[in-house]
Formats: sequence, structure tokens, C-alpha cells
Amino acid sequence: MAAPRSYVLWSYCGRGWSRLVRTCGPRGLHSSLPAGSLGVRFLSQEKHATQTHFGFETVSEEEKGGKVYQVFESVAKKYDVMNDMMSLGIHRVWKDMLLWKMNPLPGTQLLDVAGGTGDIAFRFLNYIQAQHQRKQKRQLRAQQNLSWDEIAKKYQDEEDPLGGSHVMICDINREMLKVGQKKASDQGHKAGLTWVLGDAEELPFDDHKFDIYTIAFGIRNVTHIDQALQEAHRVLKPGGRFLCLEFSRVNNPLISRLYDLYSFQVIPVLGEVIAGDWKSYQYLVESIRKFPSQEEFKEMIEDAGFQKVTYESLTSGIVAIHSGFKL
Amino acid sequence: PLWRSVLRELWDINFAPLTVRQTSAAMTTLWLRVSLLYPDHIPTSPLQKALLAAGSAGMALYDPYRHDMVAVLGETTGFYTLKVLRDQMRRDPEGTQILQERPRISLATLDMDKLRSLPEGSFGREYLRFLDVNRVSPDTRVPTRFVDDEELAYVIQRYREVHDMLHTLLGMPTNILGEIVVKWFEAVQTGLPMCVLGALFGPVRLSARKLHVLVSELIPWAVHNGHRAPCVLNLYYERRWEQPLAALRKELGITAVPPCMQGLA
Repeated sequence: MAAPRSYVLWSYCGRGWSRLVRTCGPRGLHSSLPAGSLGVRFLSQEKHATQTHFGFETVSEEEKGGKVYQVFESVAKKYDVMNDMMSLGIHRVWKDMLLWKMNPLPGTQLLDVAGGTGDIAFRFLNYIQAQHQRKQKRQLRAQQNLSWDEIAKKYQDEEDPLGGSHVMICDINREMLKVGQKKASDQGHKAGLTWVLGDAEELPFDDHKFDIYTIAFGIRNVTHIDQALQEAHRVLKPGGRFLCLEFSRVNNPLISRLYDLYSFQVIPVLGEVIAGDWKSYQYLVESIRKFPSQEEFKEMIEDAGFQKVTYESLTSGIVAIHSGFKL
Repeated sequence: PLWRSVLRELWDINFAPLTVRQTSAAMTTLWLRVSLLYPDHIPTSPLQKALLAAGSAGMALYDPYRHDMVAVLGETTGFYTLKVLRDQMRRDPEGTQILQERPRISLATLDMDKLRSLPEGSFGREYLRFLDVNRVSPDTRVPTRFVDDEELAYVIQRYREVHDMLHTLLGMPTNILGEIVVKWFEAVQTGLPMCVLGALFGPVRLSARKLHVLVSELIPWAVHNGHRAPCVLNLYYERRWEQPLAALRKELGITAVPPCMQGLA
């Protein structure tokens, strides 16, 4: 039985065969295929030192970065539309909840890593501006009887609506940044934004620069998550906060099954119909399954040096917001 | 065959993920990836095929420039029709040759200079003229991905690549009217659900005048010729470049192009 099967695989797979060789961790393959006849050494359960996962595929670490880049290059233009379609608009609520948790004050220096299309950054700016407007309204109510001097002074002082707040949007992918920049100009965000091309594992910033570091739906695509966490620790000021919004493990078994069904059956189809790209969205749902659970990720954040690390699961654990402080 | 039973077993697992845990989902995906039947193959469960068919049909109607959606619709709905087509090809000697040799039509396999040097009125020269006048290229076809049989994947790929030949044979340009006429011809010839759907729903966006022309002259002509002609997939077009187009049309029983469309292709 084994010989004909391997012949079939060999003749049909070609390229797929080399993928099989690298992904033979699962026990099922170990017993059924004769290693000797094909001259291949199976890897059993241990992974190679420089191997990592790309969705459910196993690739070398050098390859993963390039492949992730290609995925985001091809999805960039339809990224926002697809997010809305896949999450039925719920991703907006998740991102809003991240901002509510963050509760930034005017004057905050925010670093938004993997923030390509700018969702978090724009929400941050809107939040600060809304705060500023509320403050102005309160001031107006309190100051109903001003002297003429004070009124004249008010016309002269041009108060910065952002109060010195600034957001640095860093992304490794040029296409995503381009889409984000276009969105910014469409929505009218001019001040308080800077766009930087950079790698989360090696940020192009000095130490102790930012008050808040956020990474929304980006950290699972990073090849070395621990390095990204260490970089986050480095660039934050003492007292700074690390916030991560990411897909996580669903805690409810029924919802987990429905979620799996939806993820594997519907999402790649949506990707094909709307964006013309099945494989990128297959990678997306697989990479979500590969990401560590809430507790494991919390431990990774603690290992990087953060303290008071907490997490909050949203929508039964489909996403989780992890928060840590550099003290 | 072995791979078919493996595939069927995997489809069952994949279609009922309610009984599958996460590690098994990974295993299933791994096995599906391993059981690729051809390089671009993406194995899909029946549910995914149904969703794809519905989604691609809707998207193709919404945005007619999404040719890849038309292709996906064809692949997901045409499995049984492709079997009938493949059997038809097997019964014909030229068709069997095509199935065995699997010729592909692309810029890499076509000898453009040789085609250009052919005499006027020959099939190859007219085909090249069609490509130039309508500014199309044989390389814009998406590869087959969702057909779960390697030979049928080739049959549908051949059907797509032969589409341009049909334009030349029928003398139809690549505007919307011409495409609908060719779709009607193909629907009658192949019976592919995608062709039938395209033929029925394509005219939805036409103006009343064009619709009148279509219904009164072009569709009857296309249907009549579609019935008369033998299976167009059985022609080894690559060996017929030198054959005069008129002779080829006579062989297939294709009558003169209707006057409203003459000289456009």
C-alpha cells in the first residue's frame, strides 16, 4: 500500500513532495511512508533549528519573511474590504475597544507597529481630537463671562488640537503603507502622523522613545515574536505601555467549532471571490491557529521584561488584548 | 484509483469539521496539500465549491471584468459536464491525441513569427489578426485550480485556451455582444453550466437595441451553428494553422457571419 501511494505522490506532487518532506511532523505520515526507498530522512516531532511555520506549512526562517511580505503585498488594496467582509464589521469594534483600553491622553507618543493601513493610528487621532473637543466645550461652559482681554487672547493662541500627541506608523510592507497614506489623505488626517518603513524585529528607533506601543493583528506574522517583544520593550519609555490586539484561542468549544468551520470553509472562498487570492487567506486562517494561546503569549510578554501583564479576551476569545507595562 | 479514495475520505473529514479538533484540522490541511493532483490544485470541500460557485456567479455579474470569477464558476460547476466532454474527446481520434499530448496555447508555445508569415486567409494568420485587432493575449487565462481531477483540469484549461480560436472561427469581436454570441455557441457545444449561465445572464446589461439584434439574428445563428458543428474541442488547432479559415469553417459547418457583425473581428 505504501509504495503505490508514494509513487502517486511523487508523480503528482513534484513541488508538493518537497513540502511533504518538510511537514512530516504529524505521526500519520511517519508510519505509512518508507523512508529508505525515497532516500529521505524524516524529521519526526522535533523541528529543525531554523525551521518555522508559515500557516500549516513548515518553511525556513529566511523564507517566512519573504512569503509574509508577498501575502500582504497582494492583499494590501483589498485589505480593509476583506476585513469588513470576514469579520462582518466586528473588527472595528475590536479596534475601538483597544483604544478605549488605551485611553490615551493628549501629548502621548504612540508607536503603531504593523499598522500598515492605519486603522489604529486614525482611531488614536480621532480619540485625542474628541477629547480635545470635549475639553474645549467644558471650558466654554465654565468661561461664560470673559473680559475683552481674555477673548482677544483666545483668538491669538492657536491651540494644537492634538495637544502634542503623535503617532508613528511603522510597517515592514511598502504596499500597506501606501494604502494607509492614501486613506489618511482621504480622511483628512494631516498632522500628527509619521509613516515609517521598518521591521518589528529591528525597529529603527532609539531607546526610550514612546509612551505606548501597539501592534494590532501583526505580531502573528513576525518570524521571531520574542525579538519583536524585546524591541517593544526597548523603545518604550519607562512607564510605557505595550498593547497587543491579536487573534487568540476561543475558550468556548461550540463557538470554537463554528469558528473553525467559518474560518476554513468560508474565509478562503471570500478571499478568492473578493480579492482573487485564495492562498493568502488560507495562510491567514492557518496562522491564527498557529499563534500561542492567551496564557502562553502572556508568558512571552513577561519574558521580554514587561510587568503587570494582563489580557482580555473579546468575542469568546476570538481576539485578545494583551497589555504590559515597562516599569 | 487510490488518490480518489484518499481524496474522498479527506473531503468527508473536511466537510464535517464539527467533529474535528484543531490538530486534526491541521492534519487534514496537510493531507489535502499532499494530495495535490496538479501544481495549481486547491482541494475544496463540497461546501466550499458551493460557496465559490455562488460567490463567483454573483461577482461575475456585478463586475464583468472579473474573468477569473467566470473561470472559477466554470471549474466549480462543470465537473460532470467535463467528464462528458472528456469522453467525447476520447471517442474522436484527434481528441484522443489532444488528451495524450496535452498541447497548451500561450505566448511561450506559439510561434508568432511563423504565424505572421502564413498566407492571408489561413487560420493561423486570421487568429493572429484577431489577437492584434482586439488587443488580447493568450496568456491572460488563469490556471485551473478547483477541478478535482487532473485530466478534467486539462480539459477545462483547453476549453479556455480554445475560446480565442472560437472567436476567430465565428468571426466575433471581443465586445460584449461578440462574447455573448460565443458563449451561446459554447453553451450549445459543451453544455457547461457556466456557459449556459453566461449565455442566459450575459445579456442582462445590454441596451434594448442590442438585445433585439442579439435575439433576432445572432442567437439563432449561434445555436444553429453550435448544433451543426462537431465538438470544437476535438480540433488540434496547433496542426491547422496553415488551413484556410474558409475551409475550416466549411469543415465545421459554420455558416456566414451575420451582416451586423461582419468585418469586426
